Amino acid sequence: MLKLSDRRRESLWGFLFIFPTYLGFMVFVLGPLIAVAGISLTKFDLFGATTFVGMQNFGRMFSDDRLKIVYGNTFFFTAFAVFFNLTIGLALAVLLNKKMPNFLRNFLRSIYFFPVLIAHTYVAVIWQFLYARDTGVINYYLHFLGIGPISWLTDQRWVLPSVIIMDVWKNTGFAMLIFLAGLQGIPGVYYEAAQIDGASPRKRFANITLPLLSPTIFFVLVIFMIGAIQVFDTIIVLTGGGPGDASRSVVIYIYEQAFQNFDLGYASAVAMTLFAVVLILTMAQFWFSRRWVHYE
Amino acid sequence: MAPDRTNKGRMLDRSASGERLSSTTGPARLRWNPKIDFAFIFLLIGAVLVAAPLLWMFSTSLRPSAESYKLPPQWLPTQFHFENYSAVFQSDVPIVALFLNSLKITAAVTIGQLVFCSMAGFAFARLRFPGRSLLFVLLLASLMIPNQMTVIPIFLIMKTLGLIDNSLSIILPGLVSAFGVFMMRQFYLTLPQELIDAAKMDGAGAWTVYRRIALPLSGPALSALGIISFNTTWNSYFYPLIFLTSWEKMTLPQGIALLSGYMQSGNPAVVMAAVSLAILPILLVFVLAQRWIVDAFVHSGIK
Repeated sequence: MLKLSDRRRESLWGFLFIFPTYLGFMVFVLGPLIAVAGISLTKFDLFGATTFVGMQNFGRMFSDDRLKIVYGNTFFFTAFAVFFNLTIGLALAVLLNKKMPNFLRNFLRSIYFFPVLIAHTYVAVIWQFLYARDTGVINYYLHFLGIGPISWLTDQRWVLPSVIIMDVWKNTGFAMLIFLAGLQGIPGVYYEAAQIDGASPRKRFANITLPLLSPTIFFVLVIFMIGAIQVFDTIIVLTGGGPGDASRSVVIYIYEQAFQNFDLGYASAVAMTLFAVVLILTMAQFWFSRRWVHYE
Repeated sequence: MAPDRTNKGRMLDRSASGERLSSTTGPARLRWNPKIDFAFIFLLIGAVLVAAPLLWMFSTSLRPSAESYKLPPQWLPTQFHFENYSAVFQSDVPIVALFLNSLKITAAVTIGQLVFCSMAGFAFARLRFPGRSLLFVLLLASLMIPNQMTVIPIFLIMKTLGLIDNSLSIILPGLVSAFGVFMMRQFYLTLPQELIDAAKMDGAGAWTVYRRIALPLSGPALSALGIISFNTTWNSYFYPLIFLTSWEKMTLPQGIALLSGYMQSGNPAVVMAAVSLAILPILLVFVLAQRWIVDAFVHSGIK
């Protein structure tokens, strides 16, 4: 056994090792978290004096119609982007997991995965051109199907679907990659046994693949949902939040309130609600996951 | 390329029959069953859809701007007008400076994270000190805090320190990564305890165990964290947009968004040349280091 002085020395090293990370954590995460709660109770504009206003900022949110719109947009985006990223990602992973030459599998996987590595900013710059109403590539092909022309980025009804389609193009490869790794971890004997028992492919998918993959699905769901609720880069470059407020997300709204209107108190109050939403959704998912996630 | 790729996705090596297929040349043996053909066609169509926007970007960047809007679109580069690329360098956007800014910030954040996350991860996994579990759980809980949420206080901190429009305003907050600490801790937990005990018996202190035993074994974990951290920082837009305000300090994504803003209507080919300049290096690195990059992202997603 170690002597007491050794143990004390080990503790000292432990604190020393975590010191840089914890210092940064205090200054840039925990401190700001407390500060943002404090600022949300004030009128704070960078130039004038800061005054304590109690819950006034929170009260103001109830009568802020734009806040309802941006929350609506954010939830709409989150629901559909997460749904399509996960279902398409899972479908691709299942198809890629079938028998095929390895080089082909790796090649296809690389193509699907590559957009994950590109900045949202660049993706949005490219897609702006693809979405153009009269000169865009997408409307050109759709007109052969008798569709359109659609004003992807300037029609209030189409702008969020445009953002979602682009997001799926960029991010579904990440879901696919994680699902594929998860599928590789399912022992082949389960499928062999099911085959011997005469289970149809659909039954094998529902009774073997889905339950055994459920921890992975749950993980990807949480990651994608937290990411989608904070959507900013994609939209600010693609549409700037327009037309009107039709594609403005909560984070864009916070950014504009804080750094364009310099209403830091109100922006902090909205940020608090966003934090609450992320927290509640994460907790809810962990709670629901007990019912459907199958851990071995 | 092909034979090299086959051993790349270690975890994907499953279909023995697949390997046999790829090594044969006779067409007779290549007959797949029709069900698989259907899946394969679906995958191919999907791959074309995924590749198309990037192909369009590249082909357009090589054509005169007047032809950017020509329909039907030409997907393959048929002309090679490199003047769009030189126009990027002559534009008002100092693209080389922006590239170097991005590189500086990304390198500093990545190296910092590798050092600090591996130290903290090692301590949480292998050193005993009072409050270890509590401190770790607290750190982990911060993964749920959106970093857009804390931007206002961080902005005020940087303003007080006089660091607005200074790379340090992006680098300093970037050095803390709860995710990185978690990833490194999980890795150090897999090291055999006997190895560490043996070193301790020989009188090695915590620093020696970390430096001489843990660190030399953490190559795979460090490369995974390094790749994730590099990619995240290289692509980040939100913090630079708020903290970096002058041309000389901006990052590449900021510059390209601005270039696109004012050249979009007149010069799409130049915008596409700029985006190509930003994306092609990533593609090159991806082709060369595919195995490590894919592994890194798989690791980032598996506990």
